[in-house]
Amino acid sequence: MRNLVQPVLTIAVKDIRDALKDRFIILMTAFLLLASLVALAVAAIALKVDVATYAEAKAGLIALGKDASTIPDPAFYPLKLLRGFVEHVEIIGAIIGILIGYRAAASERGRQTLALIVTRPISQWQFLAGKVLAGTAIISSGLILAFVIAGIAVIAISGIVLNPEDIGRLAIVMSAAGLYALAFFLLGFVTALWAKKLPNALLLAFTVWLSFVLIAPQIGDTLDPDNQVAGGVFKQLQIAKPQQVEILQSFSTYETIRNGIEVASPTKHFERLSFAVLGIKDTYAGQPLMPILAEKTSDMIWLLAIALALALLLFARRLDPNRLSKE
Amino acid sequence: MNTYVVETRQLTKRYGEHAAVKNLSLNVERGEVFGFLGHNGAGKTTTIHMLTTLLKPTSGTALVCGKSVTEQSLEARRHIGYVPENVRLYDTMTARANLLFFARLSGVEYPDRRIDETLDFLECRDLAPRLVGSFSKGLRQRIGLAQAILHRPDVLFLDEPTSGLDPMGIKTLRDLIVRLNREFGTTIFMNTHLISEISRTCTSIGVLNQGELVFRDTIEKVTERYGSESSLEELYLSVTPVQAKGAA
Repeated sequence: MRNLVQPVLTIAVKDIRDALKDRFIILMTAFLLLASLVALAVAAIALKVDVATYAEAKAGLIALGKDASTIPDPAFYPLKLLRGFVEHVEIIGAIIGILIGYRAAASERGRQTLALIVTRPISQWQFLAGKVLAGTAIISSGLILAFVIAGIAVIAISGIVLNPEDIGRLAIVMSAAGLYALAFFLLGFVTALWAKKLPNALLLAFTVWLSFVLIAPQIGDTLDPDNQVAGGVFKQLQIAKPQQVEILQSFSTYETIRNGIEVASPTKHFERLSFAVLGIKDTYAGQPLMPILAEKTSDMIWLLAIALALALLLFARRLDPNRLSKE
Repeated sequence: MNTYVVETRQLTKRYGEHAAVKNLSLNVERGEVFGFLGHNGAGKTTTIHMLTTLLKPTSGTALVCGKSVTEQSLEARRHIGYVPENVRLYDTMTARANLLFFARLSGVEYPDRRIDETLDFLECRDLAPRLVGSFSKGLRQRIGLAQAILHRPDVLFLDEPTSGLDPMGIKTLRDLIVRLNREFGTTIFMNTHLISEISRTCTSIGVLNQGELVFRDTIEKVTERYGSESSLEELYLSVTPVQAKGAA
């Protein structure tokens, strides 16, 4: 057993140490943290404006001698402040995942050290498992740091201490973010291992990133009529749920295509899950966690399936050490 | 008991229509310092890559210490040490950290002790705490040699080991190879295109020309038959006629 595990751990530890010295990865992680804090600050300012507007309206009613108790106090969900943070994890987290994956293979190819590694008595799976383990550890550490900072920032901004359920929700989204970033790590790693030329690998990985992180979700969102009017087109037109269903039935093919484009994107699955669990999407705000998780199981399965499919691809194909040692 | 450390039968590697190595049948005995001579592009590196399990042969068989490099590659690798032409290690790590990494991958039981012993043998213990990125080609080659012998392999494959070294570096490395062979009994399989290297270091010689083995004998017999180093050069040119005419 020790003989099986030791090479895996040796490669993983070396890669983690390498990543800690990689300025570009450190810079990108710092950028993610900074962008997240800025997003939280912007969300806090927007919230304060809303609260001020509410207080002003309430004061106005009271000044007019009217009963202000009829206006309900606005519900405040501190985790909603994390919308911008989640969006940054979607975009920057995926880039960091690709870069760490690319670096894991490119560093060996560039240095031509792979020939020295694969002439050792270790199996291909041990080499790959070491790399994946290191990637998972690096991604997890970065995400834990980002989520802890984001959680502390939410508490500092809102003045509300997060309860255990809120922390649980954060932990679920963090795990999903880990799976999401791992999928992009595997993408970066697989392309950098297989591509004849390293720059082609990066080009391919970023084409996939552009298509599935930016373009596909944007197309899906743009084609969604509910997104074209603030608050939702049906809500603004005051169309009741049964009528909504009836109307949507007439557009079933359109909706299938639109939804299909969205479903193709791991980003959308991560977003759907995160927005629901954190209550960022109004429909889910204040709702208990378990029914939300039950409803969003398919998104979790999709994220898992994408990561697993890439891992299978990675482990199934035989490496060509000769090619990898010639870069 | 089979005394051959390297055995190949009809070993062939093709890249499309081009055969880099053609039907190579070669035996190297335990304890030999075998010099594999040939022009650039003769197929020497391809042969080493197949013997070190880096490259899959198109056809034929190759055994290292009786283990097939294709069917028993893991077992074969336990007996192999490999130093590529340009040794590239992890520049941001110290020499010791680099060696520790490769010692652990090779399953060396007491890696720290073995590293000290190896560095002492190579007379370069002082390099251990220094970053590899700051090393000259000669020092890098020495640490490259250290990583290859940490697990005390039966056979050490060296691909153009003196390439790019200054005369002092060449002499030091040559002496180390000879000591390694004498003190540890390590069989050496060395690719080179330098005749002087062969005559001073090797106990036997093989000449590869356009992927084919065109000459194989012990240095002793060659010297007996042909005499001096310059005669060895004439022998080399006579068995590699195509390239020689091209070069003329």
